[in-house]
Amino acid sequence: MLSGKFRSALVIGGQGIRARKLRTFLSMVSLFLGVLAVVAVQAGSEIAERAMLTDVELQSGKDGTVRGYVPGEKGAPAIVESTLKGRSDAVAMISSNAIIGEPGVRPINEGGMPFEYAGQGRGYYGPNMICDSNGTCHEQKQPEKKPDGQAIEVNMVALTGDIRPFKPFRPVSGSWLEFASAPSLAPRIVLNEEAAKGLRQYRVPGEMTIEGATHHVTPQIIGVVQDGDMQPRVYMRLDELRTWMPSATETTNPNQFRGGGTSLELFLQPGTDDLQQLLKAKLVGAGVPQDQMQFQTVKSKERMESELRIMRLIFLGMAFLVLLIGVAGILNVGLATVGERVEEFALRRAVGMSRMLLAGIVLAETLLTGLLTAALAIGAGAAGLQVALMMFGSRFPSLVGTAFPWEAGVAGVIAGLVAGVLGGLIPAIRAAKIPIATVMRA
Amino acid sequence: MTQSFEQPTVQVQAPLLQLNGITKVLKGQGEPRTILSGVDFTVHPGQSVAILGRSGSGKSTLLSLIGLFDRADEGQYYLHGNDITKLPERRAAALRSAEFGFVFQRFFLLKHLTAAQNVAMALVNGQGWSSPRKRKQQVMEALEQVGIAHLSKSKPTRLSGGEQQRVAIARALVRKPRIILADEPTGALDTETGNLVVEVLLNTTRQGCGLVLVTHDHDHARKMGRVMELRDGRFN
Repeated sequence: MLSGKFRSALVIGGQGIRARKLRTFLSMVSLFLGVLAVVAVQAGSEIAERAMLTDVELQSGKDGTVRGYVPGEKGAPAIVESTLKGRSDAVAMISSNAIIGEPGVRPINEGGMPFEYAGQGRGYYGPNMICDSNGTCHEQKQPEKKPDGQAIEVNMVALTGDIRPFKPFRPVSGSWLEFASAPSLAPRIVLNEEAAKGLRQYRVPGEMTIEGATHHVTPQIIGVVQDGDMQPRVYMRLDELRTWMPSATETTNPNQFRGGGTSLELFLQPGTDDLQQLLKAKLVGAGVPQDQMQFQTVKSKERMESELRIMRLIFLGMAFLVLLIGVAGILNVGLATVGERVEEFALRRAVGMSRMLLAGIVLAETLLTGLLTAALAIGAGAAGLQVALMMFGSRFPSLVGTAFPWEAGVAGVIAGLVAGVLGGLIPAIRAAKIPIATVMRA
Repeated sequence: MTQSFEQPTVQVQAPLLQLNGITKVLKGQGEPRTILSGVDFTVHPGQSVAILGRSGSGKSTLLSLIGLFDRADEGQYYLHGNDITKLPERRAAALRSAEFGFVFQRFFLLKHLTAAQNVAMALVNGQGWSSPRKRKQQVMEALEQVGIAHLSKSKPTRLSGGEQQRVAIARALVRKPRIILADEPTGALDTETGNLVVEVLLNTTRQGCGLVLVTHDHDHARKMGRVMELRDGRFN
């Protein structure tokens, strides 16, 4: 239950605001911009952080995910596949190269480079280098040049399960792979935007040549996703790929892995230490050197927060300065109002109100004004965000569906309260010091 | 000059308030000026006292000290036999609310509030809390007591001087005080309205309330049970 004093302060504070609507409005105008600045800075930094995090998550995986790198040799893919079979808390990605289009020709974007650089040769990645065990490297001899043809080269990623709980790919069109049904002989593939761009840009036959496969494959394109990668990439089920491979995707040639051949990447949910240990034990048992296996937890948020902190502090400092101008406005109006209300305050004290409560009433009025302004500024911020998303959302896909961050709302309320206290404190002290006898005798 | 017109129906009881040897010195920028000098003053329940005196004689200062607006520099103040000379401000505010009702020459009504809200102001002062319904009932009783219940929803700007002063009296009465302190309540009113206001104030003494009336008007003073005159900070 609220105390009598608190209720009295609220009732009288409310009466004061109603009685001086114009003054309250003027106080709110000066404060509005300050609170809005705080709300905008907080909302902006939260949204920027989320947008950056979303982009990072597309490539690195969600925060807390354990990411593992294992050489794709010595039967590692088969071991990983059998260990992860039927598990939803871990997914493996086996990457290789594939060519979609005419077989036996030089693809338009040789090496799987972005189409923006198509036709510039392998210069995009630089020459292929081969290093011996002593660390001496030399340029790999270029293979025999093939004739130019209608084909594009993509990075092909075979998945043991749904990767989206780890990497939140954004759907662009069609559907994503489903892993519950029986594998199809015509592998279903999902393109990333760059691969889709290549297929849109160049008319290539619907035939796919997968590195190491025994036959050419006719894939079914079922969807397009945004995966945050610049390189053209296609995703498919590993079991559908298996049909076309001689005996898993392993290779006995270690150089093939380094030169863009098979690579193996693992995504494990936090708290799957047992699985991690099991995988390591099996792989070491199969002869994979332990020092070539890496497992690390994704900590993108922590890294980004430290990057954003300084920027956020600078902007919040600027917003605080704007807020101070608003506080000065409230203070100015508050002092003028106390001067006008000397008789009222003296009378209230004469009828039994204590100095403390009188000060509380003046503070209650400025606090209510601050809160009201904060509510308006938060509303304006949320509305502004919606308008901005409607106008510019298509240019920034990571912002689509962004909600107004609650942190900005909290910051706005705190700013309103702080401004109310700072702006009302001196008028409150003055009101409490009004001498009843002098005023009532005048 | 002290005249005694004690009403025979009122039984003399223990004093409501008693001031002994009260001295008040005004310390401004110039020389300190003694406003009250060793004043003794007593009010009993149901007693009405008029204080007469020229401007600057210390009438309003005495009323301020009685009403706990200010503190005496010397002397003792007893309320219901308790020494409240050095009462802390918070207790003084509580006593102002519970024991005293104040009526001023200039009414001091808040223009943005209705007559009822102005009266209710004395109830919404942080000294306890009553429900809006009970508050309304108390306010209407007080307005009824001064005969202007029908004007409860009117704002002060739409009331005559007499009506405004009656709203102010209702505000003073709404907490059922033991003592009414009236500082020249008829000073801004015509004779007829002034008489009406004095009658209303006198009515409160019939219910056992003490009344201290500061006035320049001898006719009004004569209606009080006791008349005292202040001259140069002392009672004659």
